[in-house]
Amino acid sequence: MPDASNTPADQQAAEAEIDEFRDRLGPFVTATEKTRMAMLFTNAEETENPIVFANDAFLELTGFGREEVLGVCFKALMARGTGSAEVAEIEAAFAGRAEREPEVCYRRKDGSNFWASLHINPVCDEAGEVQQHFISIVDQTKQREKQTHCEMLIDELNHRVKNTLATVQSITRQALRATADPKVIRESIESRIFALARSHDLLTHQNWEGASLHDLIAASLKPFGVANGRAERFRIEGIDIHLLPKATLALGIAFYELATNAMKYGAFANDAGTITISWAIQAGSAGERLILTWREQDGPVVAAPTHKGFGSQVIERGLAHELQGNVQLEYLPEGILCTIDVPVPGKAGDE
Amino acid sequence: MNNLLSGCRVLVVEDEMMVLMNIEAALGDLGCAAIFAAPTVDRALALVEAKRFDVAILDVNLGASDQTSYRVADALALRSIPFVFSTGYSDKSIDARFLDRPVLQKPYLDEELGAALAGLLPAFALTPPSA
Repeated sequence: MPDASNTPADQQAAEAEIDEFRDRLGPFVTATEKTRMAMLFTNAEETENPIVFANDAFLELTGFGREEVLGVCFKALMARGTGSAEVAEIEAAFAGRAEREPEVCYRRKDGSNFWASLHINPVCDEAGEVQQHFISIVDQTKQREKQTHCEMLIDELNHRVKNTLATVQSITRQALRATADPKVIRESIESRIFALARSHDLLTHQNWEGASLHDLIAASLKPFGVANGRAERFRIEGIDIHLLPKATLALGIAFYELATNAMKYGAFANDAGTITISWAIQAGSAGERLILTWREQDGPVVAAPTHKGFGSQVIERGLAHELQGNVQLEYLPEGILCTIDVPVPGKAGDE
Repeated sequence: MNNLLSGCRVLVVEDEMMVLMNIEAALGDLGCAAIFAAPTVDRALALVEAKRFDVAILDVNLGASDQTSYRVADALALRSIPFVFSTGYSDKSIDARFLDRPVLQKPYLDEELGAALAGLLPAFALTPPSA
């Protein structure tokens, strides 16, 4: 940004000054010219602090040629993309009364922006008079990006924590509705919190990008199978698919409720029953659907319950609602059959 | 629980099933006559077209697709149906055009839910809860 006042005479004077510098300070000037930190000197003896020296790093950072900045008023150079409050901070820094280092959003010659902090230091002569200002410019763009990303993560974490607490509130209410027996209430709340924790673990391992259906089934059913030697009584049939975090949590709760019911009344209430979880992806008029069945066999003879408990409500109403599909729970004499028919919950926008 | 919302018809826009079930139970305890639930903006807008409500609860952020319930809020405002937002984010994150609308921070008490909804219904607010 050449200034109108930047006459060849000014420029020659500025260049002569640098030559004088170089003669006096030799290696220091070369170091300042070549360092990767962007640096400027301005002349404090003239009004408006014209730039008398700009190093290579500064030119590279801003995109200007040396001839475009020498002799230019520093404030005018900084005013590109900078608000009046920041310009006032820069002026205060020159006057030696800044409370902190000015941080500005600076516009390069090509119009792109970057965040920079300015370190403005006076250079005095032997009498203590300010001759020049030495200005180093630190690119804060990466720092700012990190900060923005960090704020977003905290926001997101806060949202998840609050929703999890609301889920625990729901679990507690249902447990207290079902019975007055403190032992049963505690067991009901704890086991569901642990089920939630297992799904969270699974998502944490995948950076909260989702989980595979195989992994979710394995994690959800681990306490029911491995701990009790029933692993061989589970059959899992289906090609692995990726699930989004919300679907992972919702299906995790559903698998927990189904497995708990199987332990109490279904296929795992005797020594012979088996559970087959199988699924397929089917093309539908409105996109692909996941059809998953949970089928229990050879357990005690099943009778439809007279009253629908929390577990069956979660599965039939809750899961159907959250995954926007149909979920059917059938109490067949040979065992429970649960059919989950939902849009494939693995693509953003499906949920 | 008293019958603060006796006979009231409520639209609940909430995508998380466990949270929804808690709201439904709370609304049942508060005496609501009908509860309509929607997990997405499209479903909610379809309900707004098809059904009649006295009041609505809108979870601000819906699902993984960065949907917000603001379009539902606009549709309700157009029909002069009062609503309250609920959110797990800070209440400062809500769009400026809804600054005057009440916000419930998750998790919240049944009493807070009841008071927020009753406060939006002049007839309910003026009548003492029936015994």
